[in-house]
Amino acid sequence: MSSYDPLHDCKLVGASRAICGIKDSAVIVHARHGCHSGVLLLRMLSSKHDDAKIVCSGLRDKEMVFGGEERIATAIKATWEYLKPPLIAILNSSVPAMMGDDIGGIATSMKREVPAEILTLSTAGYEGPDWIGYEEALNELVRFMKPSSGTDGKVNIIGFKDDEPRALSDLLEMKRMLNAHGVEINAVLTCCSFEELKKAPGASLNVVLGGDGLRCAQTMEEKFGIPYVNTPYPFGLDNTKKFLAEICENLGRTINHEFIHEEQKRVKEGIEKIYFHLQGIYDLPVAIIGESSRAFDLANFLNDELGFNVKILAVTSRNYLTPKREAGVYSNKLLVEPDKFEMDKKIKSSGIELIFGSTMERELAYELDVPLVRFSFPVIDEVSISDSPYAGFKGVLSLVEDVVNSVIARYEKVEV
Amino acid sequence: MRVKKSQVAAYSTLPWHGGVYIPGCKIAWALPVVSAIEDAVPLIHGPVGCSFQRKLSTHRYYSLFYEAPCTNMDNTNVVFGGEAALRTAIVDTYEKYHPNLIVVITTCPSDLIGDDVGAVVREVKRHTEVECEVVCSTGNFVGKARSVGHPDIFYAILDQLLTTDQNIERVEDSVNLVSYPTIQFEDIRLPEFASVLKEMGIKINKIIFDHTRVKDFYELPRAELNIMGPPRVWREVMESRWGVESFVISPSQKYKDPEMISPYGIEGSARIFMDIAKKLGKEGEGEEVVRKLKGEAERKLSKLKKGVEGRKIAIDGGFMHGHGLVEVKDLGMKVSALIYQTQFEHQHYRISEEAAKEKIELDVEVAHKYGSDPLVLVNPSLEEKIKALKKVGTELVICNDTFNVPMMYGIAGLKTFNHGWGFDGYIMERVGFKYPIDLCIQIKEVLENFPKKSPLLGLLEYDPHSPSLTPHWAKLQDLFGVTSEGSKGGEMRL
Repeated sequence: MSSYDPLHDCKLVGASRAICGIKDSAVIVHARHGCHSGVLLLRMLSSKHDDAKIVCSGLRDKEMVFGGEERIATAIKATWEYLKPPLIAILNSSVPAMMGDDIGGIATSMKREVPAEILTLSTAGYEGPDWIGYEEALNELVRFMKPSSGTDGKVNIIGFKDDEPRALSDLLEMKRMLNAHGVEINAVLTCCSFEELKKAPGASLNVVLGGDGLRCAQTMEEKFGIPYVNTPYPFGLDNTKKFLAEICENLGRTINHEFIHEEQKRVKEGIEKIYFHLQGIYDLPVAIIGESSRAFDLANFLNDELGFNVKILAVTSRNYLTPKREAGVYSNKLLVEPDKFEMDKKIKSSGIELIFGSTMERELAYELDVPLVRFSFPVIDEVSISDSPYAGFKGVLSLVEDVVNSVIARYEKVEV
Repeated sequence: MRVKKSQVAAYSTLPWHGGVYIPGCKIAWALPVVSAIEDAVPLIHGPVGCSFQRKLSTHRYYSLFYEAPCTNMDNTNVVFGGEAALRTAIVDTYEKYHPNLIVVITTCPSDLIGDDVGAVVREVKRHTEVECEVVCSTGNFVGKARSVGHPDIFYAILDQLLTTDQNIERVEDSVNLVSYPTIQFEDIRLPEFASVLKEMGIKINKIIFDHTRVKDFYELPRAELNIMGPPRVWREVMESRWGVESFVISPSQKYKDPEMISPYGIEGSARIFMDIAKKLGKEGEGEEVVRKLKGEAERKLSKLKKGVEGRKIAIDGGFMHGHGLVEVKDLGMKVSALIYQTQFEHQHYRISEEAAKEKIELDVEVAHKYGSDPLVLVNPSLEEKIKALKKVGTELVICNDTFNVPMMYGIAGLKTFNHGWGFDGYIMERVGFKYPIDLCIQIKEVLENFPKKSPLLGLLEYDPHSPSLTPHWAKLQDLFGVTSEGSKGGEMRL
């Protein structure tokens, strides 16, 4: 095994991202303080200063010898007393997993004392990458869902991660577009309350965004008979129209052509204001570095609609749909969960002029002296608090605005 | 592009350091040291999470550690051992990065399974094509202290890199300045400290960390003296193997005197420089230089401090580790109040009630010594604090770096000053004759500023006892105190 500089985290963070999206839940990281601080900071610094409920069980040296079950019991009780969450998820890290702490047993015994639902997950770092943790956690949440007959015209959005940049604005835009088609969002997994999660079977269709949460959708189909559809993440006009078309088709609804026409008209008016710039940067060589659920769809938008030349597409974290997408258009430019050193080397020799990525690409962008447009988790050096999506029809203009500004707003000392 | 102080400040009020979380683990504290050595590369022997998460530095959020290769430990390694993987990874790291030093940092999984990292490192050096040095973090007990994080790495580098059979030519009258690998705001590291020593005829052998490379460590034993901020365990290596003595600027474990622990300002700096001069037998030169610089600083300050002298300040957190003593001794300001949050310190730093009481008594004694008779506020609510401060005529609140937000005072019409450098990594930066002058200029400006009457932050609700935190975070803070209670270990005792 060679040295590997990762672009993604481990199971623990993936699982916590799934659970933390349930607004009133609490996550207990059964670990030493380092793991806890990492999970907490990644959430907090993604413009989530207002809702991080991530607790540490406080494992220290003594517990690594004698076991940490007492600590987890204390943490469960204290979490209930202070936060009163309806759901407490205990995420086991490498240390207690190796020691064999029986977190399931503790959770069962604590159910007598604490009225919250308690979920335990084995999320040791060495067990796998973050996307596996995410998929497993989301799948485990199905057990709390209450059977219900699906209401026509109601959908669940699955695979939504509320700590992504512009996530909440994107969700508002998706809601707006779906409402224009008479479609209501029943629950968002996960950006919902625990009650809303329990009522997820009240939808008649599950919409899997970009492939994330596929396993959860499959389980819901088996258990509740709710069909699912894989849609692209709605970056750009084509993906947005495809997103709406696939949902409507599966719901037996017709597309609201008038709405789409008006939205396209608005996009056209916006583009016309800056079209000379867009003509100028046609064929711009770019690199895209991001999670599978977003990176492929962004690549489609940049290539097909902005006319950019996607020279490198690096998927930092895959999902169950990635193998299918790997065989697609960008296969000769594709890197999947690459070693950062190797990826940087390829990007540095590719002549790109713009990077789409996360905060992790900041140094690379600086070394290449190119702009960085942040679109993928983790983004901890930009905040997202205004209604300025990247998804949907509104998102086309925001994204184009940011892309063009990143190119033209740079100061350059001209040397003659 | 240099890091700006505003970038540092934007993350400075995150409730870390035992507030709601402890910032990272030993990897988080080891990486700043390794990344501060320009030709060294870390290699984390553990799963991807230990690498990826620690790229987000838990004490410099504004600047990540972009390179942190790891051995990507998985289930198989945990069961069958990770030594073979480590061996391959060391070779691979060398071939990729061509560093002059690879620092292997162990993690919980690799420590728990008992991988013999030292043996792998020795074997790699003997039998492979790796042509650079390789050291590994100890993670074990070192003498009476348990080294974790940056002392551990520094100790490991000195211990494993420098052998006693090296031929070291001592450079007379020379010192090493060894600071924490903090962000550099200026072009030169420790400009004033170094220039004062040079003026006294003391040569600077090395400044660690200042564009430090591996070869600089080999040259450390040439100096007669290591100068450091707080005491560090690695100094024992230098003392016992090469007879390089140590000089500690802030010996917090040894003294109970705030003026000894926070030796800032003109008198404090004069004492420090004279003590260093005496150690090197340069009292004569030291006296001359210190007298000159002290005189210049006092003359400048006597003019500058008009408008500041006699003004009333409240000091949040007391005198220890802050710059409050400079305001009192050098700027002639009067202390109207001293404010302490002992409940927080007890819950999160395990400071006993007796220790907290002693600290307060020492501070009050110092305040009296310099002509102030302050009101002492212990665990006041925000409302109580503001009422009391106004009653005693406070004109300026010297804020605690991390746990206070000036905005709350501003709304109440009180002006605030926060120098922002509470972290002990900046001890050497504060010692000098220019610091009180800089502080005076800044405080004068603050006193002349308009109050900030309606900040948007005022729209939020705050916890009355933790006024920088909303009720949600105050709960998380209390919860953290409960879950961490009774846990010991990982402390550094010297």
